[in-house]
Amino acid sequence: MIEVDKLRKEFKKVEKDQGLLGSIKGLLRPKYEIIAAVDNVSFNVPEGEILGFIGPNGAGKSTVIKMLTGILTPTSGKCTINGRDPVADRKKYVKDIGVVFGQRTQLWWDLPLRETYGVLKEIYEVDDEAYKKKMSFLNEVLELDGFITSPVRTLSLGQRMRADIAASLLHSPKVLFLDEPTIGLDVVVKNNIRNAIQEINKTEHTTVILTTHDISDIELLCDRIVMIDKGKKVYDGSLEDMKIKYGVMREICFVPENSESFSDKSFKAGLDLSGEDLTIEKEHGKYRIRFNSDKISTKDMLSYTLANTEAKDISVGDADIEEIIRRLYKSGIK
Amino acid sequence: MKRLLKIYRMMLSQNIKALMEYRIDFIIGALSFMIDQAVGIGFIFIIFYQIPQLGGFTLDQIVFIYGFSLIPKGLDHMFTDNLWNVGYFIVQKGQFDKYLTRPISPLFHVIAEKFQIDAAGELIMGIVLVCISAGSAGVRFTWYNVLLFIVAVIFASMIYTAIKLGTAALAFRIKVSGQIIQVFYMTNEFAKYPAVIYGNVIKFIITYVVPFAFTGYYPCVYFMTGENPLFNIGGLVVISGLLTFIALIIWQTGLKAYESAGS
Amino acid sequence: MGRVLRLYFPFTRASIQSSLMYSLNMIFFSLSELLYCFVMYYLWKAVFESSGGSDFMGFDMQDMVLYLFITNVTAYLTMSDADNTIADEIKDGSISMRLLKPVSFSMSVLFKDIAGPIVMFCMVFVPMTACVEIYRAVTVGAVMFNIVNFALYLVSAVMAYLISFFMNMCFGFLAFYTTNLWGMGMFKKIVLKFLSGAVIPLAFLPDLLRNILSFLPFASLSYIPVMIYMGKYSTSELVFNMCLQLAWVAVLALLSRLVWKSAIKKLSVQGG
Repeated sequence: MIEVDKLRKEFKKVEKDQGLLGSIKGLLRPKYEIIAAVDNVSFNVPEGEILGFIGPNGAGKSTVIKMLTGILTPTSGKCTINGRDPVADRKKYVKDIGVVFGQRTQLWWDLPLRETYGVLKEIYEVDDEAYKKKMSFLNEVLELDGFITSPVRTLSLGQRMRADIAASLLHSPKVLFLDEPTIGLDVVVKNNIRNAIQEINKTEHTTVILTTHDISDIELLCDRIVMIDKGKKVYDGSLEDMKIKYGVMREICFVPENSESFSDKSFKAGLDLSGEDLTIEKEHGKYRIRFNSDKISTKDMLSYTLANTEAKDISVGDADIEEIIRRLYKSGIK
Repeated sequence: MKRLLKIYRMMLSQNIKALMEYRIDFIIGALSFMIDQAVGIGFIFIIFYQIPQLGGFTLDQIVFIYGFSLIPKGLDHMFTDNLWNVGYFIVQKGQFDKYLTRPISPLFHVIAEKFQIDAAGELIMGIVLVCISAGSAGVRFTWYNVLLFIVAVIFASMIYTAIKLGTAALAFRIKVSGQIIQVFYMTNEFAKYPAVIYGNVIKFIITYVVPFAFTGYYPCVYFMTGENPLFNIGGLVVISGLLTFIALIIWQTGLKAYESAGS
Repeated sequence: MGRVLRLYFPFTRASIQSSLMYSLNMIFFSLSELLYCFVMYYLWKAVFESSGGSDFMGFDMQDMVLYLFITNVTAYLTMSDADNTIADEIKDGSISMRLLKPVSFSMSVLFKDIAGPIVMFCMVFVPMTACVEIYRAVTVGAVMFNIVNFALYLVSAVMAYLISFFMNMCFGFLAFYTTNLWGMGMFKKIVLKFLSGAVIPLAFLPDLLRNILSFLPFASLSYIPVMIYMGKYSTSELVFNMCLQLAWVAVLALLSRLVWKSAIKKLSVQGG
């Protein structure tokens, strides 16, 4: 449904020296440098999928999204939705998409929320029947009733975000682009929004492309992940595959019979592991052992733990997505 | 087309509704525009206290030119005020992207979004001044003069809009062009007074380059003396059309450059 | 003194750097103001031609040109953005950031604000004044520039700036009480333009109006420094007016301090 083929975007960057003198120099003799913000990115998204789009800051994610939403024209390569090109058929293309920018709102600032939806109805040519049905659906899923008559400038961040999502879905777009939708929101609101997105995806088969830094967003929502680093696609696959391929760290948590008698040092001394490969944390009487399952198998670690501690409660943890991503952001994919 | 009108009407009513929230601010705004113009007129009155005529024109004629020039200025100010914001911060703050994700012309969207009703201050002032001075200024109220008056006002407003549009569109390339809009817009100050008092260079500039002289002086010369309608009114129409065409091209090419370079 | 400068200079430097980034815009800004000057110039030229004589209420054409342009450049030196600085920071809450810094609030605002006039002085004032003086020298046939008047003018201009600064600070704090300052801001700008003599030299106004206006701080913003530059004051008038300016600086500084105290109280009551 969405096809991205060898997408490339170059920017001219002006080089500026530091300080007062540097600024003046930059005025008289500017220096340019060509940077490839997006370099040969290709991927496909089938209809109805929720795709997680991740990568470190400045990796080029928003640039790809901007090209997919028709805001930016690619230097080379192409991206299409159902065969339509964002630049060539802009007006038709944007009718099929909905966009939510996490930091900027699309709503009319001074007016009650309801007015914004009224204008959008006209702009997107939604007929009365469809509008009524859609509004009641969105109302239910995003709980807008409480503030639909309030001026947008008085809304809290959570309310504004829900309102923005509703605004982007009013015209039943085939694809929804969400750029950091849960940023700055509290746990409850985040949960509501995630549920709403899932609900919408289930009932309308809306394809969702979600850019986020929130690990829970990724784990709870995304079927698939595409990771961008330094403008290049470095991973394309499911979350499970990612865990299997890159997840080396495992966890064993236990509560010792006698917390006095447990000593990290002697525990560690019995194993030939150091530094990152083996860490022990204590939290409220519970011990958490993190270990590199490449260096020692989970089975062996478990036996060692059982043999060397009087454990009351013990559990083994799965590969941790957050840790995987953190590692990949830091050192890149090998 | 009908759809665009409907959308415009909706946005207009939104603007007026929003206005109700800031009633006091609107009154103060309208009042200050009026005072600004009143000071200008007061200045003229003080001068005419001492001298009989200015550049060959009587007090009433000067007031007529001044008042007339306020009408297209006020109209343009009222309807296309958002263009200033495009130049000042909309592009720079990345807020322009939202217009590109909607299935209507971004230009239409940007302009329709803001209705600056306190420009009524300028409009009212202009109309009042025109009414009180027209008779003594030598204006003849024939039916075709009234028609030409309306035509002149419309095309003169287009000159204002075109100049704002062209300079605002520069923001697509240089991020912020608000000051540039300001400079070009300010040359309209020359339009309030008879072009004959300026040196040849300036007269040329405000006639053919930044043609604000056509938003006040030239059409008024026709209305007051009946001279040279082809140049005074016809010239206005031609130059206004040309300028609008050029401005639209600058906007379109600027938009393409923006889509290529991003924010 | 050195410590004070070192402490506050970063504010100025950061402000200058960011304005240099939009230097093109600054040039255009001065250009647009200059345009207004030229319109007035031609207008006055036509007035003088029509009036037949070479004199209009005590000013001749040279005087008029000088008055117009020096008023214009003085406006650059005395312009203060303090009201916007404060109003914006109140609106988006960043005023708490400024309060958290271990420096005096008003000093930090002052040093940020003064960057504007400093840059204007170098980039606009010096070249424009030079041009005006050259024009004067050429048309009159002798160098009219008077170093004493100029020095006194600079002192007067500094006081004018301080008056403008404190006025704007008070105005900026209004943001605590109303949400939208735009209308008031416009009103203030326009009224100020008239009251400070920028549009019509105060000397041209009817006596009663002139006398009232000369005492208000607005005249100190533009009219007084310009008259000093032109050497139009007798010694006693000079002393009197400069003392008047000084008095206004003191009054407004005090006023802004009071406003600040009450605003801070309101801030801590309301929260961030």
